[in-house]
Amino acid sequence: MICGEQPVIRLREPDRHLCAAHLIAEVEERAARTIRERELIKPHDRIAVAFSGGKDSTALLVILSRLLPSWEDVSLVAITVDEGIAGYRDDTIRAAEELTRKTGTEHVCVSFKDLVGADLDTLLVGRETQACSVCGILRRKALSVAAHNAGAIKIATGHNLDDEAQSVLMNTLRGDLPRLVRTSDADSSDCFIPRIKPLADISEKEIAAYLFVQDLFPFLPECPYTRYALRLEVRSMLSAMEQKHPGTMRNLIKSKRAIEKQVGRRVMSEPLRRCRQCGDPCSGELCQVCMLRASLGK
Amino acid sequence: MKIIFPDSTTETMVGEPVRIGRILDRLGINPSEVIVSRNGKLVPEDAIAGGDEVIRIIRIAHGG
Repeated sequence: MICGEQPVIRLREPDRHLCAAHLIAEVEERAARTIRERELIKPHDRIAVAFSGGKDSTALLVILSRLLPSWEDVSLVAITVDEGIAGYRDDTIRAAEELTRKTGTEHVCVSFKDLVGADLDTLLVGRETQACSVCGILRRKALSVAAHNAGAIKIATGHNLDDEAQSVLMNTLRGDLPRLVRTSDADSSDCFIPRIKPLADISEKEIAAYLFVQDLFPFLPECPYTRYALRLEVRSMLSAMEQKHPGTMRNLIKSKRAIEKQVGRRVMSEPLRRCRQCGDPCSGELCQVCMLRASLGK
Repeated sequence: MKIIFPDSTTETMVGEPVRIGRILDRLGINPSEVIVSRNGKLVPEDAIAGGDEVIRIIRIAHGG
């Protein structure tokens, strides 16, 4: 324990207990360090914050809005994507609107209906098991379009340490080396709006505790399509490993970075092409969104 | 002691004060996937709970 206050969380590596004030300070300092060391934010940047209203993006917006005065001429715009999921998205959008009001952040809301003319529930009839991939493709596109329209040059996402470790394991299980080492950072900025992940060094549990002790934890319903996700199985497997063998998630990410250094450039040496339908950067003839549109008849 | 589960169902546990980590073990819940409050205040898994205290288990993982 650092001080005499009641601890709210026990962290490992190193093993320690933190009170609410020290937890808040540590989480914000670690996010600031990640941003500083990886040079994620530079003077005059306009950052689009991918803001669903869930816990990770809530923590991201709170932390970035608190750090904002320490950066020279940086501005934020929060972007919420309404996929159109009945009984789920309405609450999170309300939570998103409330927090942006509190933090004084500009807020833009875009929908799948605007993007492809139908909501996710309609698009998924008869193909529910593909929910996460369909949603992921359209959400990335909706975010990019909204960020571009808002004049943002980077998109900040709330991916945390657990998400990053899960992605490494999922891509390994799928045997997808290109995706394992793919980067959406500044190297590809001529084609994509670069993504930054300021919370990539903070665990999901630390984020949840950080919000809870400030009465900011969003008690929201679970996405009804989650049960179809491979990530759900991977998450459960990895968190059991992490509990038994602390450091498992960090080690996975370390391995990914080592592979990236060794083979990243070779795997990614194929030049990016332009989609013959919409002109967006892609690796084949058509981008994923246009392929999806074609398969959905949109 | 009253336990409130992530799905809002409740259960009353009687007996000696016990470590929260032990309660989670007994319920088959991985501590990495939840945070726990005791009478509304967040506590670590090695905190002790008993008597009339209210323990709330909050699931932290959402989304796909």
